[in-house]
Amino acid sequence: MLSWLVPQASTSARDIDWLFTLILVTVGFWFVVAQAALFTLIFRFRRRPDVAAAYISGERKEEKRWISRPHALVIVCDIVLIAGALLTWKAVKQDLPPADERVRIIAQQWAWVFVHPGPDGKLDTDDDVRTVNDLRVKIDTTYHFELTSRDVVHSFSVPAFRLKQDAVPGRIVTGWFRPTRLGTYDIQCAEICGIGHALMPARLTVETPAEQAAWYASRSAQGG
Amino acid sequence: MVGVWLERRNPARGSRWGGVNRAASALLLAATAVWTKPAATCADLLARGRELYVLCSSCHGDRGQGDRQRSAPAIGGLPQWYVEAQLHKFLAGERGYHPDDVTGLQMRPMAQAVHRGDDLQAVAAYVASLRPQPWPRTQHSGDTTRGQTLYATCIACHGADGKGNEALKAPRLAGQADWYLIDQLKKFRSGQRGAAPGDAMGAQMRAMVNVLPDDNAIADVVAYISSLRP
Repeated sequence: MLSWLVPQASTSARDIDWLFTLILVTVGFWFVVAQAALFTLIFRFRRRPDVAAAYISGERKEEKRWISRPHALVIVCDIVLIAGALLTWKAVKQDLPPADERVRIIAQQWAWVFVHPGPDGKLDTDDDVRTVNDLRVKIDTTYHFELTSRDVVHSFSVPAFRLKQDAVPGRIVTGWFRPTRLGTYDIQCAEICGIGHALMPARLTVETPAEQAAWYASRSAQGG
Repeated sequence: MVGVWLERRNPARGSRWGGVNRAASALLLAATAVWTKPAATCADLLARGRELYVLCSSCHGDRGQGDRQRSAPAIGGLPQWYVEAQLHKFLAGERGYHPDDVTGLQMRPMAQAVHRGDDLQAVAAYVASLRPQPWPRTQHSGDTTRGQTLYATCIACHGADGKGNEALKAPRLAGQADWYLIDQLKKFRSGQRGAAPGDAMGAQMRAMVNVLPDDNAIADVVAYISSLRP
């Protein structure tokens, strides 16, 4: 449902959107039911001539049910939502599927530096490709990222991947993503990091292996 | 344009719509005359530049005096043409493009804040209007005598007095902070500056910096530049 507004371009996006939909449908359904009951009762027991208003103390069994039954339903819904949230958290944050490739992401005021593994698919070799504000990844490939910061706390946010992870100076944070849709998407810093925070966007391109090989070759031809 | 659109929408009623057509055109012309701003005067430009400079002042200081802790050079009083040229380079990705150029990467997005209309000219004009704030020497390791010899190569563009030459697009060096000059010369040498495609002046400077074989030579020539009167 959320994909109508923001493209769904990774496996995590699918999981997060599933949780979003679960919450929206569960809460939305009971919201509609509660409002319908409220307005029905208001209409049914509206003011009439010669009918005195009754004082309801809420002590009779059939009156108490209006509190106890919705209460029980809310608890059941809470359990369902918590279970859904835990399942999603496990799939997105706790599980670390084996990596096909690794990328390094270095945040600084106010730019992103990306280290791509190059044609050999391994970081820290001579063919690594470093770029500024331009991350390129292959579709249907599981990436582990090593995220760090050169100065202050930043947050690596890719809305199309439903991915947001803080970058902390002095720490290397490991995470993962698996792109599922070709295209170009926004990267943004999601943590106020100084006066240039708003001017810290970058671009993420999900491409085919052939396109990435051609890009590596073009970089190599340019000497960079 | 409105008239043409009405004509196209109603080809059979050209004569009937002629009056409306003319009235709409006249209205559009009148509106354009009211809405079109007159050309910005020099005072307008400086006033706009002062507004925009608030962003710059967070690093370069309210008088353009620079701040070493933020690696921000003194920019007050730099010529307008030079400030404009550098902002254009930052905008075009010809400066602040290298992954290791930490301070250049900081400046690059700042230039994007002045990319609209004549904002870039306005802020450059305001910076040029500030009184130059010469830096005291902070590096004392350089040999001024050897630096003078090395500076002979720089004279062709930057001048014997280090005051620069607009015709050659060479900026003023005298009065600039020694730590900044050392930093920039090292960047030219490593390719963090001047190596972007399209940066012809940077490429020239990269070639020139080859006369400075090591860090000692850079310290010497900067020691000499620091001895020049701004």
